[in-house]
Amino acid sequence: MLKFPYCNVTDLNQALAQCRFVGLLGPLASRRQSPRAVVSCSPSSSEFSLTPVQAVMSCQQQVGSSLVNRLRLGGLTEDGFSYKEKFIIRGFEVGINKIATIETIANLLQEVGSNHAQSVGFSTDGFGTSPTMRKLHLIWVTARMHIEVYKYPAWRDVIEIETWCQNEGRIGTRRDWILNDVATGEVFGRATSKWVMMNQDTRRMQKVSDDVKEEYLIFCPREPRLAFSEKNNKSLKRIAKLEDPVRYSKLGLKPRRADLDMNQHVNNVTYIGWVLESIPKEIIDTHELQAITLDYRRECQQYNVVDSLTGLELTEGSKMVSVGTNGSATATATTREDDHDCHRFLHLLRLSSDGREINRGRTEWRKKPTR
Amino acid sequence: MVATAVTSAFFPVTSSPDSSDSKNKKLGSIKSKPSVSSGSLQVKANAQAPPKINGTVAVTTSVEGSKNDDGASSPPPRTFINQLPDWSMLLAAITTIFLAAEKQWMMLDWKPRRPDMVIDPFGIGKIVQDGLVFSQNFSIRSYEIGADQTASIETLMNHLQETAINHCRSAGLLGEGFGATPEMCKKNLIWVVTRMQVVVDRYPTWGDVVQVDTWVSASGKNGMRRDWLVSNSETGEILTRATSVWVMMNKLTRRLSKIPEEVRGEIEPFFMNSDPVLAEDSQKLVKLDDSTAEHVCKGLTPKWSDLDVNQHVNNVKYIGWILESAPLPILESHELSAMTLEYRRECGRDSVLQSLTTVSDSNTENAVNVGEFNCQHLLRLEDGAEIVRGRTRWRPKHAESSANMDQITAERT
Repeated sequence: MLKFPYCNVTDLNQALAQCRFVGLLGPLASRRQSPRAVVSCSPSSSEFSLTPVQAVMSCQQQVGSSLVNRLRLGGLTEDGFSYKEKFIIRGFEVGINKIATIETIANLLQEVGSNHAQSVGFSTDGFGTSPTMRKLHLIWVTARMHIEVYKYPAWRDVIEIETWCQNEGRIGTRRDWILNDVATGEVFGRATSKWVMMNQDTRRMQKVSDDVKEEYLIFCPREPRLAFSEKNNKSLKRIAKLEDPVRYSKLGLKPRRADLDMNQHVNNVTYIGWVLESIPKEIIDTHELQAITLDYRRECQQYNVVDSLTGLELTEGSKMVSVGTNGSATATATTREDDHDCHRFLHLLRLSSDGREINRGRTEWRKKPTR
Repeated sequence: MVATAVTSAFFPVTSSPDSSDSKNKKLGSIKSKPSVSSGSLQVKANAQAPPKINGTVAVTTSVEGSKNDDGASSPPPRTFINQLPDWSMLLAAITTIFLAAEKQWMMLDWKPRRPDMVIDPFGIGKIVQDGLVFSQNFSIRSYEIGADQTASIETLMNHLQETAINHCRSAGLLGEGFGATPEMCKKNLIWVVTRMQVVVDRYPTWGDVVQVDTWVSASGKNGMRRDWLVSNSETGEILTRATSVWVMMNKLTRRLSKIPEEVRGEIEPFFMNSDPVLAEDSQKLVKLDDSTAEHVCKGLTPKWSDLDVNQHVNNVKYIGWILESAPLPILESHELSAMTLEYRRECGRDSVLQSLTTVSDSNTENAVNVGEFNCQHLLRLEDGAEIVRGRTRWRPKHAESSANMDQITAERT
């Protein structure tokens, strides 16, 4: 049986944003109306009903949440099917290129997913599971994460992220994001993620039962809505396992205490950092990450040691592969392994001890634009 | 390296409707913060009722109450409101609508129109009233919470660094990049931090909003001191205090420099004349070596995300490395309550570092409470060159950590 890594709790919140406890708790019945009444900004009207929910559900912030909500520049959209929030890029979130790092973006995606959960009155007591899921000891785990960035925001840029969830087949759910630059109105990035349900105790995958599905379907867009709607887009691409000879590697990576989330698991975003560790300096200096896809295979524990391996993704023949998304470079795939404008790599994160696979990934790099 | 900035001249607090908030403005001895935080955070009471009434009547009342208890004259509208609690719900509704409208407006034009912009939606921060202090709010985000269920010390340090930079910017004292005033840029000078002292009384948790106030003063003849005060925006409780010492260095020659007259002219008007927010930890920091260190971590290398715009390791990252070599039982059962760091040398991407730690559970000079530990730290390069020297103090996270203490003591023997 395929094992999936147990993911960081806040990721669960993202997937569980949609869950409503219809009829389970009295006060909530009235709140079902309020998200629709809130026009993507003021959280104040939802405060009244948020507080009793949280009081019942968890030991989380109660009075404090009102201030957080007031400061939060986000809320459900008018139809209640998605959530938008604005952020400003802070000085410590930019990297050597003076632009936001991919880790910053990944963290914000996680944050906005978590806030989506909170905004629909979903308790964030650490697990973000619906009552039915909790009864059955079920949790969501990340199976795949795909992020594309067309233009990285800089320090003090204001960005807005919209996110929503929907069903994905019988065993999973997906969360999509669209990122745009508030100043220009342009979409500068898109992301999608796939989640599967796992039994917390047995660590085995489980089909999404109808009662759980009902709980969150209310929150999902009625029509399928995909961040990546074009055919054969990169988010669907199968990632081959990296074979020898491996071109670049960084061995002996250990989770730092700072890499652990509130549930003592290695934060999903940490894996991105590890994948990047084995990218050579020549690429980092001249190129920027255009797309990253990660398949999460096995969870990494605090005490594990990880090897990060990178190899070139070989292209077949001289097919031209054009990516039809706004702003992204056209990848020219030729028989040459190296292309000065666009590089594509395959990645593998595995346990140092026995070589078992933790993640596999794929990245695309484009030449840095002159700024 | 973080540029530090300065603030306008410190004027004695004048009494005004809002100055009941600032009555404790001498920041070296701030006692009750609720008034300041609520004043600077909320819509200033000019145009409307304090929005904090909105939905959280209990909190509002207590904050208001504390303001009144300070003995300062409350602004008439607030007192009026307090005396008519029945109106609070109506007020809440009105305020909700007003806030919603304001937010819509803010979305169209988020740049503050006035320097004392009342709502600071993006947490850009601002110079508080007519003081020298720069104040900024941060919501603790989910990914900033660590394994201890609280915001990590790195998160707190990032906030301190952010306010320092934003202070510079808002005071118009940021030349190119993050490090220097315009005159400094002309002379290739940058600020370099030499010493940092932090005391954490309580770590914020997920969903908390903290207010960070920062200001600068002179440190000796050629140095600068930057202080920070972090408080819970809602309750006013002081969470963290920090102080740092900066010297000027020529970025080309890497030699320390006196503050040139032109730079002095730029920054001195902004120096505040106040006591340090923390009593200086004057105890000499011991340099560990292989024989005195109990725990050594080798082969530490910076990740890409550890580097700042100059490709040097960000100051905050050193703290992570120091903590990495602290013994795990201490990390799991205790929390960092105080830290003193001396920065000796910087390092970059290709550096390979070692982190040395020694634990001491009793210290005659610093009275240590039961269950607390002191540790000495050293971060150095493989060739022995010192990067950071430090001392940390740890207190039990929960009362029931006595079992862990036995384990830690046993482990050391």
